[in-house]
Amino acid sequence: MTGRMKSLFRVLYGCLFLSLVAGIWVHFYLHPEVHFFWEAFPAFSALYGFIGCVVIIMGSKAIGHYWLQKREDYYEKPKGKQREGK
Amino acid sequence: MIDWFHPGLIYILGAFLIPLFRGTIKKGYLLLLPVLALINLLLMSKGVFSPEGKEWILPFLGYDLILGRVDKLSMVFAYVFVIASFCMMLYAIHIKEEGQHVAAYLYVGSTLGVVFAGDLFTLFFFWEVMAWSALYLIWYRKTKAAYGAGLRYILVHFFGGLCLLGGILLHFHATGSIALETFPWGGESSGIPLSSVLILLAFVINAAVPPLHAWLSDAYPEATVTGAVFLTAFTTKSAIYVLIRGFPGLELLIWLGAIMAVYGVVFAVLENDIRRLLAYHIISQVGYMVAGVGMGVMGTAAGEMAINGAMAHAFCHILYKALLFMGAGAVLEVTGRSKLTELGGLYRYMPITFHLYMVGAYSISGFPLFNGFVSKTMVVQASAMSHLPIIWLMLEGASIGTFLHTGLKLPWGTWFARENPVCKAKEPPKNMLAAMGITAFLCTFIGVYPKIIYDLLPYPVHYEPYAPAHVVSMSQLLGFTFIAFWLLRGKLYGERTITLDTDWFYRMAGKWVIWFCEKPLMTFAQFVDGKVMGVAGFFVWFSRNPALALHIKKEEAKLKVKRFMMSPKRAEEHAQVLVEKRKSYPGELPKLTLGASLVLILLAFSLYLILYLLMER
Repeated sequence: MTGRMKSLFRVLYGCLFLSLVAGIWVHFYLHPEVHFFWEAFPAFSALYGFIGCVVIIMGSKAIGHYWLQKREDYYEKPKGKQREGK
Repeated sequence: MIDWFHPGLIYILGAFLIPLFRGTIKKGYLLLLPVLALINLLLMSKGVFSPEGKEWILPFLGYDLILGRVDKLSMVFAYVFVIASFCMMLYAIHIKEEGQHVAAYLYVGSTLGVVFAGDLFTLFFFWEVMAWSALYLIWYRKTKAAYGAGLRYILVHFFGGLCLLGGILLHFHATGSIALETFPWGGESSGIPLSSVLILLAFVINAAVPPLHAWLSDAYPEATVTGAVFLTAFTTKSAIYVLIRGFPGLELLIWLGAIMAVYGVVFAVLENDIRRLLAYHIISQVGYMVAGVGMGVMGTAAGEMAINGAMAHAFCHILYKALLFMGAGAVLEVTGRSKLTELGGLYRYMPITFHLYMVGAYSISGFPLFNGFVSKTMVVQASAMSHLPIIWLMLEGASIGTFLHTGLKLPWGTWFARENPVCKAKEPPKNMLAAMGITAFLCTFIGVYPKIIYDLLPYPVHYEPYAPAHVVSMSQLLGFTFIAFWLLRGKLYGERTITLDTDWFYRMAGKWVIWFCEKPLMTFAQFVDGKVMGVAGFFVWFSRNPALALHIKKEEAKLKVKRFMMSPKRAEEHAQVLVEKRKSYPGELPKLTLGASLVLILLAFSLYLILYLLMER
């Protein structure tokens, strides 16, 4: 990783930390309207973003590898010669 | 004094004059048409032609065709279509082939026809022109894949068009009205009319709602570089417009929309082709709008927020999705490649394209200060106001996936991912960059100053996108998505695969039909053919010498009996004789005397007489 990348990442981590602090501040000082119980948890969005992203990647890849992903010439090949992409 | 001029006609009539111009004049003319249409729209909104809300009616065969229904709903869509068409034409202005420009403007014009249509016949007419003109934007790519995808595209839209026509006729038969208003959908006493089901089916096909969406992800990535940019905007968003007109507050649409939003995201993970990845994100984003229409129950605060949100999101989506397709198209234009497995490290050659693309990516992901943030959150907010927790989670989850793919996976795989660029490249032509620049400016301008579209919306907007809670929660959501992406980025490299989608059913059905024709049907045909030819051959053989033929047949029958009854030796002798007779066939024909001929003729006549008498009775 180059030095520029490193400083970029430092800024990014700083921003993320700031967003968490801001979440707590918003929650305890501004008392925004809460529609669902999970919104009462100040860092819910952060957690949902992280877990959601992992689930989307792993879940979709699993569906793809075991079922939906096929060789690029899948539709061109005559019947009976189709095989899995992996 | 004309009291109205249809902005769609500026494009449709203007398209036919394109071949008359050459060089710079042609370029100027192509860009002038959207400007004229925008001036027309502004004059319309100022009530210069006639006050807003008044309709432009054309009497036709005893019906009043409403070509121009001007209200806030139609004007919002018309504005964004016209503004987007300017940017898109600027992007495509270097194309020499006039047919592409003609098809593009027919497509834009017919979409405006749909938007201003106040009755179902007018709607149907423009609906069909829209499908056909879009087809040429695909076919102009002139590759085998494009021809195939285009054919499948038009077949699906044929089906949709027929559903629409059937629905319109049934609706007219039942109600006697051809007005494009909210369609009946069940009640306390009545069931759901078939006409409404058919019309809804036609609308959701154009809106690309799964499982009827595969035409989009199949065809758009095969279109020309510039044609695909046009395609992203008009068909699906005009479908959202007619859904708002015809089925606001239909609960089914909430679920379909939320499923769409997630569906597109899941498939985008698996995609290797960058334009197909973006096409799946059209489906995902249109899902927010469909869900918004579904939540749009008239007369409630949440419903008004949902309709406003769906429309604002359509407006913003057209701009940022065009920008994203322009970016991906620019890569395809200069490198001839569109697969992640064949791309990487291009930042060194195309930094401007990258940064402009990223404006689109931030917008679609809903980063604060970009236009997606001010519109998408309205739909999500409407789901919260309607107390739909699962829908809320699905829509928020789709936001994560959107940023993951369009904002991280695609740009990472295209412009970075490798130390050294995979191929030589350069920035695309200046007009393409200029078009991307203008679109990127609009995306950020609306993001910073959302009032400009909020004021256009049909209901008063009571929503503050930049409330601290919204900004913080969106920043957390997207920021931590990045962390997860960075940890798992190794899993997101492109794979040399295609992904099966619901087009599998009709693609395979097509193959099976061909197999059925080639194999069982052909075998059967050959069998029948062989038998008929055998019979015909026998008659030819028989007619050469009927007397001897009869004799041979008689002897053959005798031989069979002999083989069964007598010693093999005698039977063999008989067989030898028969072979000789067959060889000498037809031999010398028996000479008939005149009398014998007369007898035969009389015989034929008497047979004819008997037949005649029988038939007479």
